[in-house]
Amino acid sequence: MRRSREVQLTLLAAFALSITGCRDERADCVDGQNRKIPDTNCQAGGAGYVGAHWIYGGSGGTNLGDAVSGGSVTRGGFGGTGGGEAGGE
Amino acid sequence: MRRRRQSPRTDWQAQVEKVGLTFHTLENGSPYWDESAFWEFSSREIDRLEAATAEIQRLALAAGDVILDQQRLSQLGIPASAHEAIRAAWNAEPPALYGRVDLAFDGQSIKLLEYNADTPTGLVETAIAQWYWLQDCFPTSDQFNSLHEKLIAKWKDLKDYVTNPVYFSDGGSLEDRMTVEYLRDTANQAALKSLHIAMRDIGWNAAHRCFVDLDNRPIGTLFKLYPWEWMLSEPFGANALSTLPPESPLKEYGPRKDRRSWGSTLWIEPIWKMMWSNKALLAILWELNPGHELLLPAYLDGPRTMQSYVRKPLLGREGSGIAVVRDGQVIAGSLDGASQPGYVWQALAPMAESDGKTAVFGSWLVDGGPAGMGIRESSGPVTNNTSCFVPHIFR
Repeated sequence: MRRSREVQLTLLAAFALSITGCRDERADCVDGQNRKIPDTNCQAGGAGYVGAHWIYGGSGGTNLGDAVSGGSVTRGGFGGTGGGEAGGE
Repeated sequence: MRRRRQSPRTDWQAQVEKVGLTFHTLENGSPYWDESAFWEFSSREIDRLEAATAEIQRLALAAGDVILDQQRLSQLGIPASAHEAIRAAWNAEPPALYGRVDLAFDGQSIKLLEYNADTPTGLVETAIAQWYWLQDCFPTSDQFNSLHEKLIAKWKDLKDYVTNPVYFSDGGSLEDRMTVEYLRDTANQAALKSLHIAMRDIGWNAAHRCFVDLDNRPIGTLFKLYPWEWMLSEPFGANALSTLPPESPLKEYGPRKDRRSWGSTLWIEPIWKMMWSNKALLAILWELNPGHELLLPAYLDGPRTMQSYVRKPLLGREGSGIAVVRDGQVIAGSLDGASQPGYVWQALAPMAESDGKTAVFGSWLVDGGPAGMGIRESSGPVTNNTSCFVPHIFR
């Protein structure tokens, strides 16, 4: 059977009309030792420190170089390659 | 087979947006979804393309065994830290959802150009947009396209093996985001629950040694439209490997408790797809099957005696880094860096050319079987991210 007998679209059609927003949570870009560095290092396309990643909902200093603690969960360890280009091909 | 022109539907943008194809126009304003033309095939030609896709899959499976048996992962540029995880995944056969082989077809010979096995896109336009186009424009004709129902069927097969919910992730580009949403839709229609999480938002719980979502709930199953080679080069790459055998603790899932060797996170596509999404596969296939009618001569050590060939980076994406040489002359791209490793040299294929366009036929596989076709057209010899998608029919 080559023909698609029935194509029902629910989620996709709805998503096409609405793009998700951002989360309201403290986010700190830190280096491999969890010291605060400029956010650009963690953003797509940023030159970046090796090991730069986000800590969400962390606590600690807010100045560059300050230590940031964020429990045992770290984020931002994926998603830094490609400079915003598609990973699909 | 022939390329035919026709007037686009007057409201084609609205029509394709309605079914999820929001990225229908390129940045320069020209259409990416181009229904001012379509390709028409005979049923016999579609049979040939379908059979060729199945045969290439068979060849690729045999090549995977050889790559591992002969310990050739380093030849593919895959880091040593991932070798055992790839071997374990290949042997344990965790779920693999889909892939796309790109074919040259001039009406006579069919040749494999490459296998996009890890993160293929073009799915929304292939499975959905061109299907609705067919209903509007040629309702009595047929189309090589059973992607939608085969994806749903595959998810149904997996219901006892995936954790609930299944997470879907991507790097954030609009095309990838829409592709992931479409795949979520097919999973939902198979009665699976799903959630989306951006790759950058995935968390690592160091205490429990598992990936977590934004509410810190463990991610047991993750479909990721994000290349494995990117993941492994990033800060969480080592953590991803630690969720896979042999590092991962054993877990038991499924009605027969036989998921134990799949690891603490079920990654879709599995990590062994790194063997097939790497263009070194083309040279290995030729080495194993010299003269095969579906393959082009391809080598990892240079063009040898070939005068007309394409030099491709092993991990190039969307045509980047490709150089095309015809009769000894570079006609597209550049051969800079030719002496460095990391390329495959593949003979120039006979391509379908019409109206100044060169067409590449993307033949999809779901669960290892042929499932449909999407066509990309370029003004030059290289398919890249500005190449248009053109629908097709067969009679």
